[in-house]
Amino acid sequence: MKRNKSFILLLVIMALVMAACSNNAAPKEAEKPKDNTDKPVETAQSDVKEAPMLTALVTAGTLPKLEERMPVQSDIMVQEVVDEIGTYGGDWKMPWTGPGDKWGVGMATEEALFRFNKTGDKVEPNVAKGYEVNDDSTVFTIHLREGMKWSDGVPFTADDVLFYWEHMLTKETFGKKIYDAYYSVDPATGNKALAEVKKVNDYTFTVTHKYPNVQFLERVAIDNKWFFAPAHFHKTILPELVGDAKTLEITKQWGYEDPKVFLVETGYYDWIHYQIPTIRAWVPKNDPNSDQFIYERNPYYWKTDAEGKQLPYMDRIVMTKIQDPSQKLLGTLSGDYNLVTFDSKDFTVLKENEKKGDFRVIPWTQPTWSSAGVQLNQTTPDPNLRKLFQDIRFREALSIGVDRVEISEIVTNGLADPIQASVPEGVIGYQEGWAKQWAEYDPERANQILDELGLTKRDKNNFRIFADGSDLTLDIVEGSPDNAAFLELLKKYYENLGLKLNVKVVDSGTQFDLKYANKIPMHTENISVANVAFRPDTLVPLRVITPWFGHYGLYSSSGGKEGEKPEGDVALILQLWDKVKASKSVDEINQYSNEIVKLHMKNQWVIGYAGPTPVLITASNSVRNVPSNLVWADEYRTLGHGHPSQFYIKQ
Amino acid sequence: MKTLPVFKRQKPAVISPAKTKDANYSSQWRLIYLKFKKHKLARISLVILAVLYTVALFAQFIAPYGLQSYDSKYVNAPPMGLHFIDADGKFHFKPFVYGLKSERDPETMRKMFVADTENRYPIQFFVRGEEYKFLGLIPTSLHLLGVEEPGRIFLLGTDGMGRDMFSRIVLGSQVSLSIPLVGVGISFVIGLFLGGISGYFGGWMDSVIQRIIEIIRSFPTLPLWMALSAAIPPRIPVVTMYLYIVIIFAFIGWTDLARVVRGKFISLKNEDYVVAAKIAGVSDGKIIVKHLLPGFISYLVVATTLAIPGMILAETAMSFLGLGIRSPATSWGVLLQEAQKIENVALYPWKLFPLGIVILTVLTYNFLGDGLRDAADPYKK
Amino acid sequence: MLQYIIKRILLVIPVVILISFVVFYIIQLPPGDYVSSYSAKMSAAGDVMTQAEMDEMRANLGLDRPVYEQYFVWMKKIILHGDFGFSFNFNKPVIDVVGQYMGLTIVVSLVTMLFQYAVAIPIGIYTAVKQYSAGDYFFSGLSFIGMATPNFLLAIILMYLSYTWFGDPLLGLFSNEYVNAPWSMEKVFDLMKHLIIPVIVIGLSSTADLVRIMRGQMLDELNKPNVVTARAKGLSEWSILWKYPTRAALNPIVSTLGWSLSSIFTGATITAIVLNLPIQGPVMYNALLGQDMYLAGSWLLFMALLTVVGTLISDILLAWLDPKIRTEFRGN
Repeated sequence: MKRNKSFILLLVIMALVMAACSNNAAPKEAEKPKDNTDKPVETAQSDVKEAPMLTALVTAGTLPKLEERMPVQSDIMVQEVVDEIGTYGGDWKMPWTGPGDKWGVGMATEEALFRFNKTGDKVEPNVAKGYEVNDDSTVFTIHLREGMKWSDGVPFTADDVLFYWEHMLTKETFGKKIYDAYYSVDPATGNKALAEVKKVNDYTFTVTHKYPNVQFLERVAIDNKWFFAPAHFHKTILPELVGDAKTLEITKQWGYEDPKVFLVETGYYDWIHYQIPTIRAWVPKNDPNSDQFIYERNPYYWKTDAEGKQLPYMDRIVMTKIQDPSQKLLGTLSGDYNLVTFDSKDFTVLKENEKKGDFRVIPWTQPTWSSAGVQLNQTTPDPNLRKLFQDIRFREALSIGVDRVEISEIVTNGLADPIQASVPEGVIGYQEGWAKQWAEYDPERANQILDELGLTKRDKNNFRIFADGSDLTLDIVEGSPDNAAFLELLKKYYENLGLKLNVKVVDSGTQFDLKYANKIPMHTENISVANVAFRPDTLVPLRVITPWFGHYGLYSSSGGKEGEKPEGDVALILQLWDKVKASKSVDEINQYSNEIVKLHMKNQWVIGYAGPTPVLITASNSVRNVPSNLVWADEYRTLGHGHPSQFYIKQ
Repeated sequence: MKTLPVFKRQKPAVISPAKTKDANYSSQWRLIYLKFKKHKLARISLVILAVLYTVALFAQFIAPYGLQSYDSKYVNAPPMGLHFIDADGKFHFKPFVYGLKSERDPETMRKMFVADTENRYPIQFFVRGEEYKFLGLIPTSLHLLGVEEPGRIFLLGTDGMGRDMFSRIVLGSQVSLSIPLVGVGISFVIGLFLGGISGYFGGWMDSVIQRIIEIIRSFPTLPLWMALSAAIPPRIPVVTMYLYIVIIFAFIGWTDLARVVRGKFISLKNEDYVVAAKIAGVSDGKIIVKHLLPGFISYLVVATTLAIPGMILAETAMSFLGLGIRSPATSWGVLLQEAQKIENVALYPWKLFPLGIVILTVLTYNFLGDGLRDAADPYKK
Repeated sequence: MLQYIIKRILLVIPVVILISFVVFYIIQLPPGDYVSSYSAKMSAAGDVMTQAEMDEMRANLGLDRPVYEQYFVWMKKIILHGDFGFSFNFNKPVIDVVGQYMGLTIVVSLVTMLFQYAVAIPIGIYTAVKQYSAGDYFFSGLSFIGMATPNFLLAIILMYLSYTWFGDPLLGLFSNEYVNAPWSMEKVFDLMKHLIIPVIVIGLSSTADLVRIMRGQMLDELNKPNVVTARAKGLSEWSILWKYPTRAALNPIVSTLGWSLSSIFTGATITAIVLNLPIQGPVMYNALLGQDMYLAGSWLLFMALLTVVGTLISDILLAWLDPKIRTEFRGN
């Protein structure tokens, strides 16, 4: 019930945000489709069920007929369209910075076994046709689609799942450990047990857990959406099956140096390699290092619209390599690109040019706690500093010593609310009143707290020093200069409190090293989490990843051999997480997750100075069916959540 | 031909002292001075540069606001007009500015500014404002000009954080006009010295120096900066760090000059007058200073005046790469780097004002160099 | 003269070896290595590598070995197999990466260089001969403005103007539809169109330098006794100009020509990034940032070779141009 309520709230808020942000564009969008619905339906009901370019291939005899390419009728997935049934043709033109940018297109085209539904609270079948689960959530029976095929025409069956499980995932061939989702936890001892995967028939397999694993499907949908791989391809390259020498030879043939890297590239980043069969809507066609990287429609794609027309509507994805963010902006303004995402920094320029550039800006909300803030590393090595960072009063002083109105006006151009880092309303874990906690600007009180903490001595520049006379400097290490404006303001406010703040900008690689070495006392990373139970990384110290818990994470991931032993509320969080893992019902999970969030509210290890900002999807007015009220989250695969296979270009 | 009378008039004055040697020496500089005076553009340039450097020296006094006067009320405000006649058509002897009313466009979130003609703020001189240390020594809060609170004066508009562009340009000139001189100075000395040795003595010394130059030339500078910026602890002020970078720049940059100096030495050292001096037993040092250097002093002058703006521009490039100076410390490079966003070029073009100042500085340095060059040319009539 | 040339060429070898080591050492100076920048990229995309995974990757790529060892392995491969190593970023041999970008790099460089010399030398001569004329001021001013505007800013402004005036910011070297198209007249025309901004931006910056140096030199030479004598002998103004002052004035330009070769390859990096040119500069910049060291190393080595060879050529040209130096070599 609680959850339902929060989702209604979420919808209401999104509607409000939409109304506020695009009061002009939104109604237009809503009206236009209505005018046009009739005509496409008429044309669609003529027998065009596949793209003209594929019909041509069929006529030429190089491609089997549509019925032979699709799953059996009952197993075809019908993808609902957002506004209207589309027409075939056109290119999705977007910029990318090269193969390092692979996730943008990767998430947009990803086909998960189970994907998150529109509201993001549970999963729905996608590659899988459906599932059954027994009462104690230990046996999951998953059905696949009969007659579904890889992009090279080879049937997609349970063998592809089994092969992936047996020869790739459990052998860890592609550089990833077996995902946490596949382990169930003994509620009594906390011991972990690996699941068993068995084939039932060509289109059915089971996953059996030793202990209840209530959230198995959700966690697979995050950890390991692609719980399958083209067996007929990987059979030809895996060293286990062809021998090390042969794998090395193939590695060199592909131009790679190291078989390990090669297996990661083929086993994990498979979507940018044209040699590998896929089940995505578009298939890569050339070398991703080209100046233009091209995807073309997958003739064997297994989804249709409600009228039985095979998706995707758009013929190709054309990705042009760019080197500087300004090119993305200029190219979008001039219409070189027709569907691009921006962060809120570019809001004004985009909005000012909406008419001239013939595009519309569609904001999607993010489940982020803040768009500007700091995290205090609770395990920072300097004993004086650590004591300070662990003192809740110090965090309060830092929080109320900064004027959030100025920050949100200057840094986010007024798009964010001047609030504390907190779970946004409508997102799971929302806490009443949290956004206002320590959010009022009160420098006098902040100074008073700092005095109470014993930081009364000052150095010759009038900066506070520790009671023992040692220097007190807050160091922020940044991996990019993007945050400069916020940091400038922060420096001013902190130094007004008598706290010396140093900002050091290093390259992102160095920053990563420093994080591992626990040499980052403060950081400006923002927390983004759709549901802590799905992905705990930012809130629970399980490994070295989020700055606030520093080496507590190393303690967990090394099993207590390295790092810092968590104490107090942090230790409590870890205990709660173990309980989440061993829960037997969704209610139980929600209850423990909520307690984790509450501990964050109580401690405010992460201080936010401006609320979340939207992600801006900028679509040319000819690109249709782009949904306008979704949540942009990595968990939901960002733009992929809008189901790009049903986007189409109005001629 | 027109210059001839000048020569005639000057000559007696020059020759009259008894110590001919010294007289000749000073006469050359005097001639240069006299000829320089005739180069109109160069003279104007010298005046402009003098003004720029004076402004830089008294920057804190001249700038109405400090580098950290962020204000969300005035984000991206366009330049204000100075008015003499108010909305009612009344003339005021003292120029004034109007107050600014701002609101966000609800659609695009752009801040729109309207002059508030109700509130006039006459410009006042010698007003109290932000505290600073005059010439880095005397604490004061006196500023050259300003308007009464709560009015603001933004002669060149404001930046994305609500700071006065005029103040930032003025304050930024302190870094941009001074530090490049250090760099050029260092590379000039090294280049002249090593290039001279290389060209004059030749032989193995020449070979060694030339190879050193080649190695230095092929130094990949980018990883050097990256290593440097990572190695320098964050507590060092950014301006100091930038100074280090410039010094390293100089240690790489001298090679250009050295190559040219060497070429010149080689071609001049066989001139008859040099050979004659050698035969007459004049020391090497004297030959270099008295006979060789004057032979291509004009080139050196050009090279130096060209190198200073080069250094100013190099700073802007460093800022582009995220190295060098970072706001709130301000230099012209920082301002240009901030200006280079499409957003600014499209919506807030007044942020390109610093570009005008940089161009002006570079132009004046070059015209000054031209004037000096022409003046120093011994054959020029 | 010949002996001198041979001596100079022989000297090139130890210099190149020394440079190659220095280069290899310096690109490893910044903290971190390819693995750390790779893992940072991964973590930005949501994949986190553990310390063990990072160590394993280091071992696989040979990055855990000492610098000198890596250097020797690298050099051995280059000398014995012509194998310059492997680019981590591109997952390709370095040679392939360099090859991919070489064609367009040379086109851009050559066109720019031609533009520079074609514009700078005549203007330099003109402004010297017609000193203090309106033309002198005009051209001098123009070349200064080109020089005084930082490349990246000029590039952005020109792109934006092109967008507002023609609706096309002329990003990159080709329009979208021609990037992968086979060569045709239209594609060449498209390339020419896209070359306008880069050539102006890259060309203008060094044109000013060249004009100034040329002008300065010409002014020095114009009134020298040999010119005066020639004039007295009644030679035509043009042949005087060409025979004496121009040749002498070219001296400093030639002496730095060798370097401009390599600086034209790398100097345009920032401009190329802003203009999205698919040429070597930005590729190398990213290689350096991402610690893709064999790619960066090979490229820098190549640049160093160009510098050294360029200097060699300059020295020889200088000897040919300047009769005084020529005699000196003969004397040796």
